[in-house]
Amino acid sequence: MTKQTLDRYRLSFTLLAVYCVLVAAVTVILFPIFWMASSSLKPAPELFARNLTMLPVAWTLENYRNVWEGTSFPIYFWNSFKVAALSTLLTVLISVYAAYAIARIRFRGRGAYGILLLVTQMFPHILLVIPLFIIIQRVGLLNTHAALIVAYTAFSLPFTIWMLRGFFEAIPQELEEAAAIDGASQITTFHKVILPLAGPGLAAVTMFGFIRGWNEFLFALVFLQSRDLFTLPIGLASFQEEYTFRWDLIMAGSGIITLPILFFFLLMQRFIVQGLLGGAVKG
Amino acid sequence: MFLQRRARFAYFLVLPSLAVITLLDILPIIESVVVSLQNQNMGRSNPEAFVGFAHYSRALFEEPTFWTSLWKTVIWTAFSVAGAYLVALGLALLLNMDIWGRTLFRALFLVPWVIPDVATALLWKWLYGDEFGVINFLLTKVGIINKPVLWLSDPLMAMPAVVLVQIWKLYPVMFVVLLAALQNVPKELTESAVIDGAGVMQRFRFVTFPFIKATSIILTLLASIWTFQAFDIVYLLTGGGPAGATKILPTLVYDKAFWGLEMGYASAISLLMLLCLLVISVAYLTIYRTQGLQADEARA
Repeated sequence: MTKQTLDRYRLSFTLLAVYCVLVAAVTVILFPIFWMASSSLKPAPELFARNLTMLPVAWTLENYRNVWEGTSFPIYFWNSFKVAALSTLLTVLISVYAAYAIARIRFRGRGAYGILLLVTQMFPHILLVIPLFIIIQRVGLLNTHAALIVAYTAFSLPFTIWMLRGFFEAIPQELEEAAAIDGASQITTFHKVILPLAGPGLAAVTMFGFIRGWNEFLFALVFLQSRDLFTLPIGLASFQEEYTFRWDLIMAGSGIITLPILFFFLLMQRFIVQGLLGGAVKG
Repeated sequence: MFLQRRARFAYFLVLPSLAVITLLDILPIIESVVVSLQNQNMGRSNPEAFVGFAHYSRALFEEPTFWTSLWKTVIWTAFSVAGAYLVALGLALLLNMDIWGRTLFRALFLVPWVIPDVATALLWKWLYGDEFGVINFLLTKVGIINKPVLWLSDPLMAMPAVVLVQIWKLYPVMFVVLLAALQNVPKELTESAVIDGAGVMQRFRFVTFPFIKATSIILTLLASIWTFQAFDIVYLLTGGGPAGATKILPTLVYDKAFWGLEMGYASAISLLMLLCLLVISVAYLTIYRTQGLQADEARA
């Protein structure tokens, strides 16, 4: 056997080992999610069987129907969608312009503004929630979705601005200069030339804002009091008291809250990873 | 003239974000400081009475709660971040090769990051179940244990159990960033190290790690900051129990503010918490700086 074939054997053996480890790691890491899916598709008695089976014996969508038709879940779902979508819209609108400014324009206070964005990301939410509760009560916005929408926007902004900045910086400056020479105004140049090129960045920011709003728990817990205003996270958490030991309902509910996010994530993960890196590494 | 107009345009662009951030980030911090110096006890009359540093001295000198919680938070943070970093690094090193299905594996390893905290907590609670939990079921079946472990209701097991969930939640972001950093390691360097007969460990220590050291420091700092203030997972899994075994600072603050209705005291504790975060950050960045200098000297 020549040295080359020996090397090739060694290489393919290494590859095989790497794949084995990778597959084992994926199995362990994704097992909790698999178990959630499997449990949600089992009839309730199978969940509490002496001998658990990995896959449902009698597959059923009954749990999903019970959650959707027998509880307030559709209301929570709609509330979550509304709050997440509106706060995302606000976040994207505000951060697009701010990010462009710090990416392209030199102005006094730019450095300070950048630091402000970094520092506010560090503020513990558990610290902010108390004074915000007091302030929001004072202005009469307690127990409203408006308070949540504004709060989510504020908490996403520092990161999304930072993230988008990376995308804008990657667009060649010459494009803008050419448009300026052609007599386009600054704002037109931005809208017509730059923004369309920042598509992946916008996708990442939108996704990020939506995930944030869809998943947020603490502020919804503190700001909302009426059940008909509850978002999915606190609605689902309240199942723990309301439907104790109804793991069939709880797992189906967890499935419903997870699925849309998981779907969009897998669809757009390339942009999200890119955005995450732009925001995190540059910071 | 043109530059001035550009600058004015820039202010106009950042203004909305500045307004929102001031109103919802800066103003609350100020309010928090004010509240921490006031009576603010819903049970008592005259909530806005000035009490000076009474809440701070109660937290620091009169009651042991703050210190026990701080210690638990440190344990929770240290183990979560260390665990998440090791998992992330291991997976990133594995995926740092030209192999088929790389993007797919990267996406799969990122999945725990997008699972909502509530779903994460509830599903782990289900996994950890005493009687019907699948972890106890599998461990019994394999023969490692002969009676169910009370993962979340045994004061000794609760902290490791919640830490494991936090690791699961935390490692994905670290993994993506580390994977990206590993791409910066020049291929020629690793190859020449192989030719020089360096073993796997040596190659990692002397060739790969120096390239990801700076990223690692920043990443672990960020992860520490996030974990130190994380609320959802612990609150939903144990609520700080059993018998206060997982009562980390965020859970303590929440309980004091929204169950005890002692907004002043809770604010004081949360500001002390912010102070701790500042100390951690400054200490970390100082280490980062000195380490950076040493590396430069070594190169020179």
